[in-house]
Amino acid sequence: MEMNGMQRVTKTAAVAMGLAIVALAAACGSSGSSGSSSGSGGSTSTVLTGAGSTLVAPLISQWEPDYAKSAGITITYGAVGSGGGIDAITNRTVDFGASDAPLSSDQATACKSCLQIPWALAATVVTYNVKGVPDKLKLTGPVLAAIFSGSITSWNDSQIASLNPGVNLPSTHITPIYRSDGSGDSFVFTSYLSAVSSDWKSKIGASTQPAFPTGQGAEKNSGVAAAVQATDGAIGYVAVSYIAADSLNEALLQNAAGNYPEPTTKGITAAADAVTTIQPDGSVPLVNPPASAADAYPMSTYSYAIIPQTSPKAKQLKAFLTYAIGPTGQAFGPPLGFPPLPSAIVAHSKTVIAKITT
Amino acid sequence: MTTTNLDPSSIPLPTRRRPRIGETGLRALTAATALLLVAIMALLVYETARQAWPSIQEFGLGFITSDQWNVVTGQFGALNFIIGTLLTSVVALVIAVPMAIAIGLFLSELAPRVLRTPVGLMVELLAAIPSVVLGLWGILVMGPFLAEHVEPWLSDHLGFIPLFSGYPSSQGVLPACVVLSIMVVPIVASISRELFLSVPGELKQGAMALGATRWEMVRSVMLPYVSGGLVASTMLGFGRAVGEAIAVTQVIGGANAISRSLFPPGDTMASRIAAQYAGTATSLQRSSLAYLAVLLLIISLITNIAAQLISGRLQRRLGGEA
Repeated sequence: MEMNGMQRVTKTAAVAMGLAIVALAAACGSSGSSGSSSGSGGSTSTVLTGAGSTLVAPLISQWEPDYAKSAGITITYGAVGSGGGIDAITNRTVDFGASDAPLSSDQATACKSCLQIPWALAATVVTYNVKGVPDKLKLTGPVLAAIFSGSITSWNDSQIASLNPGVNLPSTHITPIYRSDGSGDSFVFTSYLSAVSSDWKSKIGASTQPAFPTGQGAEKNSGVAAAVQATDGAIGYVAVSYIAADSLNEALLQNAAGNYPEPTTKGITAAADAVTTIQPDGSVPLVNPPASAADAYPMSTYSYAIIPQTSPKAKQLKAFLTYAIGPTGQAFGPPLGFPPLPSAIVAHSKTVIAKITT
Repeated sequence: MTTTNLDPSSIPLPTRRRPRIGETGLRALTAATALLLVAIMALLVYETARQAWPSIQEFGLGFITSDQWNVVTGQFGALNFIIGTLLTSVVALVIAVPMAIAIGLFLSELAPRVLRTPVGLMVELLAAIPSVVLGLWGILVMGPFLAEHVEPWLSDHLGFIPLFSGYPSSQGVLPACVVLSIMVVPIVASISRELFLSVPGELKQGAMALGATRWEMVRSVMLPYVSGGLVASTMLGFGRAVGEAIAVTQVIGGANAISRSLFPPGDTMASRIAAQYAGTATSLQRSSLAYLAVLLLIISLITNIAAQLISGRLQRRLGGEA
């Protein structure tokens, strides 16, 4: 039977439509596969891409030019936040991830045999901005928990005043500021609050994205720093390197021994020396170290490189990680607020690095 | 069937000549493009729903009525963000629509001729400002201004209304409403200008001839004539406000709870998705964000259908009267 005009048109349209969809599908498919190959394999073996923690970003930015010069390998790092870094390495769109929070069991399963390598020692620091209040206000863990859960709402609250005799505190309303993205600093901060306040532990808990009951969110360390600076009465938490960079006020936190150590090399190293137990998942939690460490800063943390156990760039990754935890890499740390890794942790990291294979 | 009429032998020669291939090609190409768009839309809905499925299975419709968003306990619900979305969008419309209609009226009826083009152009340029720039302005200028000047005044004078009570905050629901209203104004203003220009001159002259003042003419002739279009343009503005993510994320403060007041931080559905999608802590959180996206799609769909129904009905009623 002869086809009429209408039918012919419809048929041609159907064929064209089919072709278009096939083309689209092919485009999607090829872009997907090329994306993953450029991330983990690729033709250029002299580039390592990474993403994650904003805490460790200042240190990595020091490593980048130095390592390019000494080893001829370019490191590209996106400071997208610890949570974003874990996502990126789970999807293998980068060669390494970086996180200040160890992988949760959920994330570890999704990441498929990823290794966690402590490669930098740092701290999360409480910062605030209250007109007329000087730097280095003293706070305890329970008071901090009360502020962030909304039960202390003004700066002249007696619980803050009793810790700071002689400081003239105004009645300014307290605005807690927290990270809205998945953040290792949030994890360290809420791990600490969970350790010192049973109320916090049962109601809110520790997470990279906890449900803060009050206050306002800001994105990344830079966002929190900016929001604190812009808001009279604000209190927030940032990685230690951002305190000096933005000349922010830092609050002194009481440790288990009852002292108020500063988050300096001395205070952070004291915490790292006091806690050497490596957890089964490869993490070394440092928050709230025991009272025996009299000078230990209570919100210290390791930052971890998250590396897939099998990577096509295993050789380059091993070389870069060995550089990072070695004396050259760690030497960049102290001026930025990152004390050198303790030798026990360096030894541990070396054994983990040796496990990476192609 | 009528196919016999289209038998090739019965079709006169001219239409069988060369243009036929071009015509077939054009028709195929345009049909393919249109159908491709439909296919992309369908795939988008399918994929979003597929991503949301674990959360849909876990929480069901209770997701809509739960005010929990807690990664630690694995409890997720959309209520706070639905309220935040509707609240910011409605307040933005309350601010923007009267202004936009006034602008439209000014540009079409009252403005001196020399002003019409430049002012109209500026209003349309407002729509071209990238939302991230508006958000930045919100953080740096408008938020602090609201917190230091507007919010204290509101709470002093209107503090008895819960909406205007509480502590001023430079990041919060009110700055988000203002940023959204700035995005809505150009949409509604340019449509309402066109609508006012479409009012037939005879109607306006008729009203004037009957002794109506300009204001009476606007109120009794022009506004009823364009009411359907105004409602539709308002709905379009609403759709814009509901879906805006980046600028809102920048100024709303991303809080987990929503308060009765406009001052403290809150969050909207789109803003929550934008802020949390990168770097989710659990797969259920990721899935719940996709569930939020599904709800957002549904709200947008309802808004659009409602806009068409309402404007259609008003148009018909007006047609019946005339």
